Amino acid sequence: MSMRRVRYLIGAFLAVLWVAPLRAQVPTGTIRGVVTDEATKEPLASVTINVGSHRTVTHADGRYALTGVPEGTDTLRARMLGYAPATQPVTVVAGQIVVVDLTMTAQAVGLSEIVVVGYGQQTAGDISGAVKQLSFEDFNPGQITTPTMLIENKIAGVQVVDNNTPGGSVSIRIRGTTSINASSDPLYVVDGMPVGPGSGGGLSAGADPLNFLNPNDIESITVLKDASSAAIYGANSANGVVIITTKSKGAGGQGARIDYSGTVSSSSVTRLPSVLSAFTYDSIVRKDASAQQIGQLGKANTNWFNQIDHTAFTQEHNLAVTGAGETSSYRISAGYLDQQGVILKSETQRLSLGVNFEQRLFSDNLDIKVNARGSRTYDSYVPGNVLGDAANMGPTQPVLDPTALTGYYNYPGYNIQSPPNPVELLNLATSDGTEYRSIGNVQAEYRLPFFQALKAHVNVGYDVARATQGSFTPSTVAQEIQSSELGYENRLDNTQVNTVLEGYLNYAAPLNVVPGSIDVTGGYSYSESQAQYGTITLKGLSTNFLGESGTPTATTVTNLLDTEKSLLISFFGRLNYNLADRYLAAFAVRRDGSSRFGPANAWAVFPSASFAWRISQEPFLKSFTPLSDLKLRASYGKTGNQPLQNYVQYATYTPGDAGSQVQFGNTFTTTVRPGAYNPNIKWEATNSYDLGLDYGFLNQRFSGAVDWYIKNTTDMIFTVPIAAGTNLSNQLTTNIGSMRNSGIEFSLSAKILEGRGQGLSGLSWTADFTASRNTNTLLSINPYAGSATQIPVGSISGGTGNYAEILTPGQPINSFWVCRQYFQYDSTLKRSMPVEGKWYSVVQNKKGDSTFTGTCDTRGLRADHDPAPKWILGHTSYLTYGNFDLSFSLRAWTGNYVYNNVAAGGFLQQLTLRYSAYNVSTSYLKTHFQGAQYFSDVYVEDASFLRMDNITLGYSFKYRGQPMRAYVAVQNVFTITGYSGVDPTTNLNGIDNNIYPRARTVTGGLSVRF
Amino acid sequence: MNLRTLKAPAVAAAVLLLAVAAAGCTDTTVYPTSTISSSTLFSDPRSYQEFLGKIYASLALTGQQAGAGNADITCNDEGACNYIRLWWEFQELPTDEAIIAWNDGSLSQLNTQLLTSDNGFLYGMYYRIYFLVGMANEFLRQTTDGAVASRGASAALKAQVQQYRAEARFLRALAYWHALDIFGGWVPLVTENDPLGSTPPKQSDPVTVYNYIVSELTAIQGQLPAPSAATYGRATTMAANMLLAHVYMNDSVYTSGTNWTGALNAAQAVISSGVYSLDPSYRHLFQADNNTSPEMIFAIPQDGLKTQEYGGTDFLICASSGGSFSGTSGLGCSWWGIRLKPQADSFYITTADHPAGDTRNSYFVTEAGGQSLGITDWTAFTQGYGVPKYVNITSTGANGSSTQFADTDFPMFRLGDAFLIYAEACVRSGASGCAANALTYVDSLRVRAYGNATGNITAPQLTLPFLLTERGRELLWEGHRRTDLLRYNLFTGSTRLWSYKNNVPAGAATASTYNIFPLPRTELQVNPNLKQHGYN
Repeated sequence: MSMRRVRYLIGAFLAVLWVAPLRAQVPTGTIRGVVTDEATKEPLASVTINVGSHRTVTHADGRYALTGVPEGTDTLRARMLGYAPATQPVTVVAGQIVVVDLTMTAQAVGLSEIVVVGYGQQTAGDISGAVKQLSFEDFNPGQITTPTMLIENKIAGVQVVDNNTPGGSVSIRIRGTTSINASSDPLYVVDGMPVGPGSGGGLSAGADPLNFLNPNDIESITVLKDASSAAIYGANSANGVVIITTKSKGAGGQGARIDYSGTVSSSSVTRLPSVLSAFTYDSIVRKDASAQQIGQLGKANTNWFNQIDHTAFTQEHNLAVTGAGETSSYRISAGYLDQQGVILKSETQRLSLGVNFEQRLFSDNLDIKVNARGSRTYDSYVPGNVLGDAANMGPTQPVLDPTALTGYYNYPGYNIQSPPNPVELLNLATSDGTEYRSIGNVQAEYRLPFFQALKAHVNVGYDVARATQGSFTPSTVAQEIQSSELGYENRLDNTQVNTVLEGYLNYAAPLNVVPGSIDVTGGYSYSESQAQYGTITLKGLSTNFLGESGTPTATTVTNLLDTEKSLLISFFGRLNYNLADRYLAAFAVRRDGSSRFGPANAWAVFPSASFAWRISQEPFLKSFTPLSDLKLRASYGKTGNQPLQNYVQYATYTPGDAGSQVQFGNTFTTTVRPGAYNPNIKWEATNSYDLGLDYGFLNQRFSGAVDWYIKNTTDMIFTVPIAAGTNLSNQLTTNIGSMRNSGIEFSLSAKILEGRGQGLSGLSWTADFTASRNTNTLLSINPYAGSATQIPVGSISGGTGNYAEILTPGQPINSFWVCRQYFQYDSTLKRSMPVEGKWYSVVQNKKGDSTFTGTCDTRGLRADHDPAPKWILGHTSYLTYGNFDLSFSLRAWTGNYVYNNVAAGGFLQQLTLRYSAYNVSTSYLKTHFQGAQYFSDVYVEDASFLRMDNITLGYSFKYRGQPMRAYVAVQNVFTITGYSGVDPTTNLNGIDNNIYPRARTVTGGLSVRF
Repeated sequence: MNLRTLKAPAVAAAVLLLAVAAAGCTDTTVYPTSTISSSTLFSDPRSYQEFLGKIYASLALTGQQAGAGNADITCNDEGACNYIRLWWEFQELPTDEAIIAWNDGSLSQLNTQLLTSDNGFLYGMYYRIYFLVGMANEFLRQTTDGAVASRGASAALKAQVQQYRAEARFLRALAYWHALDIFGGWVPLVTENDPLGSTPPKQSDPVTVYNYIVSELTAIQGQLPAPSAATYGRATTMAANMLLAHVYMNDSVYTSGTNWTGALNAAQAVISSGVYSLDPSYRHLFQADNNTSPEMIFAIPQDGLKTQEYGGTDFLICASSGGSFSGTSGLGCSWWGIRLKPQADSFYITTADHPAGDTRNSYFVTEAGGQSLGITDWTAFTQGYGVPKYVNITSTGANGSSTQFADTDFPMFRLGDAFLIYAEACVRSGASGCAANALTYVDSLRVRAYGNATGNITAPQLTLPFLLTERGRELLWEGHRRTDLLRYNLFTGSTRLWSYKNNVPAGAATASTYNIFPLPRTELQVNPNLKQHGYN
């Protein structure tokens, strides 16, 4: 081939891609008209109109025009979400304009809604798995910093736990915890870009992996709960999939539109740990402590928590410019958030930018979407153990001491057994981090012009993050003097680059040989993750002047660099079959290969199948008009999970650092350590079964679903103790054990009042209810022994290496592992008091009487309750009247328990046996414990609660024809609970050890359009 | 060809091309780059020393990071699972010498002898022993003659590796001795001939383990390096003799056999080698520069800058510090943990064979320092004399190289111990011709303790009870007491009582079951071949 021809071909190829397609030389005409709502007679914007392959959308005034329509008779179709499709025959005459006005009838929302599913979309009515999509109208209002909080309390079977810190992490569990050592987090997919566990967010400690995403940019969030829906994502989908779709364009209108929304919030602490008052503390120390501790008592009355918390302010501004042309649309958004935490020094700032662009080419046959978003997040953290120090610092001690080096009071002698001044640390130490992150992709969908049923789809995406973090503690603060560390600095510099390349073909058409239609998708996905984690730690700083900004000479300097890479390669396919809109079947299969397994186990196949019967579409029920939907669903699916760490399968040697050398004669030698490894590590598999019923009455006025599921996880990836002498460490990451989650879910959405009348009957009220129950049981851990193996988990504070939870077969994971406290009536106090060191024994005598033990060991330790809620109940009400809207949501958990580690530190010896008397929890006043009773079940508390998560009052109006809304929202309105600690929704592992307190937040918000 | 006809196939081709190119890629192999792979490790001849170094490090350190981090074994608390720290706690806390104030997990059980199989420190000790054994076995597997030759090693390196292999075997024998001593030898005897994997090994028995230790130590005698400046902290022929002497000494405990002569000969070999001499200063043996002591036979070296961890002598210094003498040890830490049991002070009281003037307890912190002798509350640090025996201060009064981590080495075997073993083996064996030497050796320790000959004893005073007490005085808090009491059959039972024995403040008899400690329950669960001995 000559160079000329090559150039010609390249030129032609580029021309094809970018030059507007030439029109066919056939006679054409024009169709125009107006689309209105049947009931309200209002014009409808952004209705899709098409004739054959010609398509447009209606403008804000409901008008549309289709030019260049070939001569002849055809059908004009109008489609829009929430309306029944309208069709009308039309005859086009060359060179003439035909006017076709259409009316559309509002339809029960829900059934016709387009739901985003894995590698495609489906109408809600056609879905055969357990899938729930929420759009931005459904999202939680108020101060929301991370996307997952938008759906908190909204979906049955989805547990959302946030850690209260600004920009802090939010954990989601879909239908319980399925794994112990592999991840239990769902797979997030943002605009087709998988954001797997450990990506990005792992770079910035404590921060949420989705923190980069401005919640205001989100159009919808879809949760794939059952395995049949999730299995198309195979690997990492064992914990469900959360698909996030960002807003890409405004509805209709050829011109640009600008939306602004902003909020201002104020937050204050709701509950703090209850510690002894200065008066009580003083009197106990004087009565029971030694002369030394009494001598140290001060005269102040300091509430240390008041010194470290404040009323926090938050502001948020979002600006979006959207526009749509005939063949292209775009959305550009910018967001700014500055959120203060209720504990001083904690703050998050985020600057985010997003661009969504869509271009249709070649008579709409080629659809190119470009999504790119970037953010800069700055986080400031509470340094050190300020919350714990505030609980322990003596309330009679002053905050300031003009004679001290730092100006802050500390106990004399700087003993390690004196609590350090929390205010000193808070003000002089720093801990913060900055993360830059960008995520984006280009998606091209090409519909073959000569074979319209076939679509080819290519998705190329990236996720790049760089996080730097630093902490600095000057050598002059008490904590550093006490530990003789004398100054500490730690800097992290982490980068991660993930890339994804996906291609798939989709064929959707009625079948000619058999009745019904099929939709087949098949594709390939290649994703690669590369990360580099660099750490430098300095101890014994020669100067404090540089702070986090430099690396001064130090006594010890430790440098670490870790480079990691992983690959995930997949082939997937799906077949949806729809027979007469009544019988639906879907089959999906995915074959995944992961670099985290040896060659023999790298690949695994994850199949799934689901069936649905839309009973309401049956002829015998069609005449029964009150029933608008009844669908029975059944599904099975297998999903996989990989180890969180790379390279478990390889024998590797880890070199020691400069501070872990050994003397070897007259020199020192660095060491290398062979690590335990498991060449046989293989995929963890979860087999799930789901049986569900979707129902709807009175044109979906009442609708909902009931689901029953069971999930069996086998070959659980688990780091377990292995027989000593068999490998190179005492634990090995291997496939051992199995676990089961089973449960039921109910949801009901009721339009109780439809607000169609005048006056009070203009009130509309929609109420959503969800209820779910999950039961988790660890079935087995160890294949070698017939007996149960117990693995302690749930590290607690107090002593060295103590644990309060257990993994043991037959019990839920993370069951509390405590002794049952014996109580006796105290006639002086006139109440029942725990008897220190007396426990009910697990062993009972022949009569079945309780026996007792004096040591809380195997004779008394038992698995007792667990942190997971038994029932999660949710309710949201949404009321509108005229221009006003009011919404509130309530949440309740029952049967969740928390180990109150703060209370467990409440015993007398903390005041009497330390160098300085520690302040303790008021639990001491109830128990009168002299010594530590860390394993007493009195600290395992029922943390069931009812909480009003938010209440919002809004007012919507039109200004110059544009919609506007102003609102006031209160979050965390009230919590009713018997739990004595700070927050019953502590965290997923159920151990409350000086956790960040929960705030009540009042937000004022405004959204306007120009 | 016009554009219209070209466009569709071109787009289709582009999409297809991309898909096919991508789909061709199905190789999921990714090798680690931040750790060393087994194929590249031995290309560097230094790796043999670094690997052997790790076996030594498993006594001194807890992981691959300074201080803590990247831990060797998963344990409750990394620093608390240091080999020396655990060994010390097992040798001292259940005896009449030491008590600890902490209620960490089941640590306080050690004060009382009443260990249960779910004791976390038992678990730590067991896995520390087997971590060392595993490292040594892997080293021996990777350094067979064939393997070394196949890597093209030089003749010098081959000879070096032979010596290294003997050192690895010494360390493994040392660990098995600890398993024999603490767990009674009812443990698996895993060697380099067992495959690496996850198949649970078979249980062995005391006699087999004992014989294995003796045969290993005998076999490597010719290959170990002779002591020199280049062997400080390393296994030498003399370290092997010391280990052999200790094993023989307690033969009666381990296998009901007797081998006093063996112990006598092994101690004799050490003493007559002429390499070691008594340190003129007793205190120097426990100071930051004790590596310069001429008395050290086998020390576990620590270094404030290069060997940093929270077990070992750091633990001994920090946990012994508290009360009025907080922070006087040359390290900034005071952990308010270990003190003297009152009965240990009685070693020093004035008797006919122990006249006044012994300075070996000169550092005790007594009532004058706010400590009481008696203990009625084990959690109260001020009850029990303070014992800042180990300090991070040099013999010239300077601080160690760091105020956070100690320079002080742990003296596992030293000449003073060899003298006392010699004397005791001589008395017990009734061997002829050793009595005069025995008296000389004991008196040399006494001269050092008294600063003159006033403490010297006469031949009739060199009795077994005297020697046990003398070991208590000379080797207090050096990790020998439990083994010594077992040999005298005084550890359990009612003959000798001390504070908190059997969890009674005044002390009470304990069952002989506690002469060995139970196998950890977690281990019985993962290894069905193991049976508990004497415990339920």
